[in-house]
Amino acid sequence: MTAAGVHQAAPGAASAPAARLGPAWLRLAWLYLVSRRAPVALALLAGLGALLWVALHWHWNVAGGPAAQMMFPLVTEAGAAAVIAATTYGPFGEPERATGRWLPYLRLGAAVALTAAAIGALALGSTGGGLPGGFATMARNVAGMTGVGLLCAIVLGGMLAWTGPVAYWVLAEAALANGLTTPWIWPARPPADRGAAICAYLVFAAGLALITVRGVRESARDRTT
Amino acid sequence: MTVATDAPARRRLPSVGGTVPLTAARLLRLELRHNAMPWLLPLIAALFWFDSYRPSMGMPQYWVLRTFWNMGQGHTIVDFVPFVAGVAAWMGSRDGRRGTADLLTAAARPRWAMQLATWSATAIWAVGSYLVFVGVMFALYAHQGVRGEPPWWWVAVGAAAILACSAVGFAVGALYPSRFTAPLAAFGALVAMAMSSQIGFSHTSGWAQILPTNSNGNFQPDSGMLYPWLPDLPIARIMFLAGIAVAALGVLGLPAAAGGPRLRRAAAVATLAGLAAAGAGVALAGTARLGPHGLVIPALHDAANDRPIAATPDCAGTGFRVCLNPDYRSELAHVTAALAPVVREVAGLPGAPVRAAQTPAIYSAGEGQGGQAMTISGHPPVLGMPLGALGLPGAFGWTDGMTAGQLRLLFAHAFVGAGNGVGTPAQQAVQAVLLQGAGLPIAMQPNLLGSVGLPSWAPATGGPGPTTPVPATGPVYAAARRLAAQPPAARHAWLGAHLAALRAGQLTLAQLP
Repeated sequence: MTAAGVHQAAPGAASAPAARLGPAWLRLAWLYLVSRRAPVALALLAGLGALLWVALHWHWNVAGGPAAQMMFPLVTEAGAAAVIAATTYGPFGEPERATGRWLPYLRLGAAVALTAAAIGALALGSTGGGLPGGFATMARNVAGMTGVGLLCAIVLGGMLAWTGPVAYWVLAEAALANGLTTPWIWPARPPADRGAAICAYLVFAAGLALITVRGVRESARDRTT
Repeated sequence: MTVATDAPARRRLPSVGGTVPLTAARLLRLELRHNAMPWLLPLIAALFWFDSYRPSMGMPQYWVLRTFWNMGQGHTIVDFVPFVAGVAAWMGSRDGRRGTADLLTAAARPRWAMQLATWSATAIWAVGSYLVFVGVMFALYAHQGVRGEPPWWWVAVGAAAILACSAVGFAVGALYPSRFTAPLAAFGALVAMAMSSQIGFSHTSGWAQILPTNSNGNFQPDSGMLYPWLPDLPIARIMFLAGIAVAALGVLGLPAAAGGPRLRRAAAVATLAGLAAAGAGVALAGTARLGPHGLVIPALHDAANDRPIAATPDCAGTGFRVCLNPDYRSELAHVTAALAPVVREVAGLPGAPVRAAQTPAIYSAGEGQGGQAMTISGHPPVLGMPLGALGLPGAFGWTDGMTAGQLRLLFAHAFVGAGNGVGTPAQQAVQAVLLQGAGLPIAMQPNLLGSVGLPSWAPATGGPGPTTPVPATGPVYAAARRLAAQPPAARHAWLGAHLAALRAGQLTLAQLP
């Protein structure tokens, strides 16, 4: 047995220059998205948009103050952020990090694209009725909570990253019910509040930056629990 | 052929009955050590402090008021269940995520038994930490001198809710293992809590009473102070939640890979039993009717729980004595001072009460009592005050001045004989005069009548609330101003002569001087 012929391309394979062109880049992005279950995530985000539409259309708003009125929109926003955070987990670990030089860009692109998809899905869902605070508030909340989820992914690992948006939902509901107005709990602030928007998008930017540069934590808990 | 008589005797194997519990205990210990729940406990503790404990500190020191938000409206449950459901789903999906589910079917123990061990560890962490957190919170309340009896039954409901969430989350994780299972289970728990609140706030009776965050008609003063907490609805809720837990765990034992035929039959029986228990809980909640001390479920009700809690009242005041339940002793000085101006106004008039005594507040269908009227009865006359149904300083933002005004209004309303209705125009006018004499100018009275926490007759005759100025105009207030302009002695004499007719509703505004 010899190694002769190893350097010959398989019949039907694309030539080396062709492989470096657009389709290869797209294929890499697609494979990355598939490995992160992005198609499933998109379906779930569409489902959340549908849930918001149903909740607004059938007036599922809870009687009471701002905490009650914001309950369902915040639930769907937190759900979208949790889904995006769950996509950050990578199954390949060290080999992928060692060989994938485009990985930071893929992580950034996936997070931005999924956040945009979440905002789009919830914006479509908000056509079911009057969304408290309107589009700008929803976009601010989704971006901020996604940032919380991404930061959680960096600290806890992708598999437990969902805890961040869920915890933030509890925090926001408590703040709304008890009249707390710190801009760091942006859902409790008015739609046009500049401080809340700055805090939310700052958290989102921090999450994006860290997820791009560092990636998610490879937690031992992912394997032992 | 020889007989090996010197061969060593075979040692008898230890009985299987002894090794099984030992192995199960070892398995449980391993699962407890490798569980993900402890990692989230610091986060849950922080949220528990922020959402359950911190808001309650603004309420007066009564168990029923301190725990209304965190136990009655179920915020201790809301703080736990999303995380418990998510972590349980995470633990349940472990074999599926690792791709070892098929391998485990060949293990020494049935797969269902191993899954139950994993779930048990998750549930022990979740329920145990819930009980510890609630226990610490209750210990802090007790240290602060909170009065009454803690709502123990509602703690049990919370523990059952955590148990049910862990079982459902675990079953979902085991049946649909994926990276999205845990966040979706947590999200499902959030939606369930939101739906529970949405339905609970709008349903004051029927099946919706089974929902763990529904506080309509089931968490009000004077429970735990003048009468015991009724366990009827908590028992129905525990049946419902425990049934859900058993059914969810039973479903895990139904697939062929879960174990042998006998085990699967047992799982089927458990599933059916769980569903039956949950259904029975819903049916029982549907039969609940509002009693004076809370929701009564006839099939579960124990008449012994209707007996009031025996206590020697604390009294204050010279001449006119005000007596309250000892749990309300901190309100004694405030109530005595609030009633004193009206006592001076009615002194010497026929039917004027000689003392005031607290009466048990009667439950109403909504959230918290909607305010109840005072009564005057007996010989000599005694003013009955359902203090638990009235505003207390510090509760829900009420101030001393607001509650004092409400107490005076209710006293005057009872004195003119208006009962539970708005009263006749003449009774309203005399009530306004008495209140003015007690230091509440007529111009301010529409706002007082419109304030929150009074019986329904008050807003019907008043303004929209204490903050929106409403002029005191109309024939009633005109007649009241006419009567108030009389010299005090003449007004007193006229009242003494006409009170019987006034209380009987026989006087018109034109007959007022």
